[in-house]
Amino acid sequence: MSEAQGKSPNKPDAGVWLDQHGDYLFKYAVFRLRDATAAEDAVQETFLAALKAYTKFEGRGSERTWLVGILKHKIIDHFRHASREVTVGEEPDEFHDHREFFERTDEWQGHWNNNHAPTDWQATPADLLERDDFWKVFSDCVSPLPQRTASAFTLREIDGHSSEEICEMLNITVNNLWVMLHRARLHLRNCLEINWFKYRQ
Amino acid sequence: MALYDKLKHDVRFWLLRRLPNCQQTVATISQSMERSLKLRERVQLKLHLWICAWCQWYLEHLLMIRETARARSSELPELETAPSLSDEARERIKRKLTDTN
Repeated sequence: MSEAQGKSPNKPDAGVWLDQHGDYLFKYAVFRLRDATAAEDAVQETFLAALKAYTKFEGRGSERTWLVGILKHKIIDHFRHASREVTVGEEPDEFHDHREFFERTDEWQGHWNNNHAPTDWQATPADLLERDDFWKVFSDCVSPLPQRTASAFTLREIDGHSSEEICEMLNITVNNLWVMLHRARLHLRNCLEINWFKYRQ
Repeated sequence: MALYDKLKHDVRFWLLRRLPNCQQTVATISQSMERSLKLRERVQLKLHLWICAWCQWYLEHLLMIRETARARSSELPELETAPSLSDEARERIKRKLTDTN
């Protein structure tokens, strides 16, 4: 240990480091993981990995960007492990294609029925960006999705990874991924409409 | 005017019967966010959206969810109001880091 410290006298003070970047990293992580404990673990692992690799970093670019880069990998690792724990049969099938949205008794079977048809949200992204109560609803709407579907959705819609990247991370086929994303979108849009956009008006 | 409305109505229903229905169209909408659609799919989607306000909203909402979630994720870590590390977690991580250091 003392040898390592001798080699890099500029090793950061852990306390100061945590005060500078801890909250930032935690907020980043909890938005994606939707679980405070998992986010704390990811932050801790990020700092531990960063301490180990600090000599490689020294001076190159911003410390925070470097830490966020490590955190991204920790989050993907989390998704990957969670995905591996789900065996195929286990993925609950309750998130089917929401056929009930399109069930009608008239000749228009297969078209939206009146209870589920989308309505005008009368909102713009700017209205929602800083509404913490909206994001609470958002998180609560993502959470009931099957683990792997939620991970796929997060990696795609929040992080903007490509289909190929996500398939590799979660070890699924591209058709699998597209089915999951479609189900996630059907569910989430409806959930937000019921629990936020309708209720707010 | 009444004749024009009647005509519009008839064209709309005539098309709606021949095009993929809403359930099939929302699947195509989701695909359109992942890959470029084939010409046939693209034309059918365009026509369906032309006559179906519900699916127009659907597409608009999905794009808005994507855009808003990405914007929130880049802004969030700077927001004071968002929940931050608890004191307990901060202490725990600090101890762990000092031990390892």
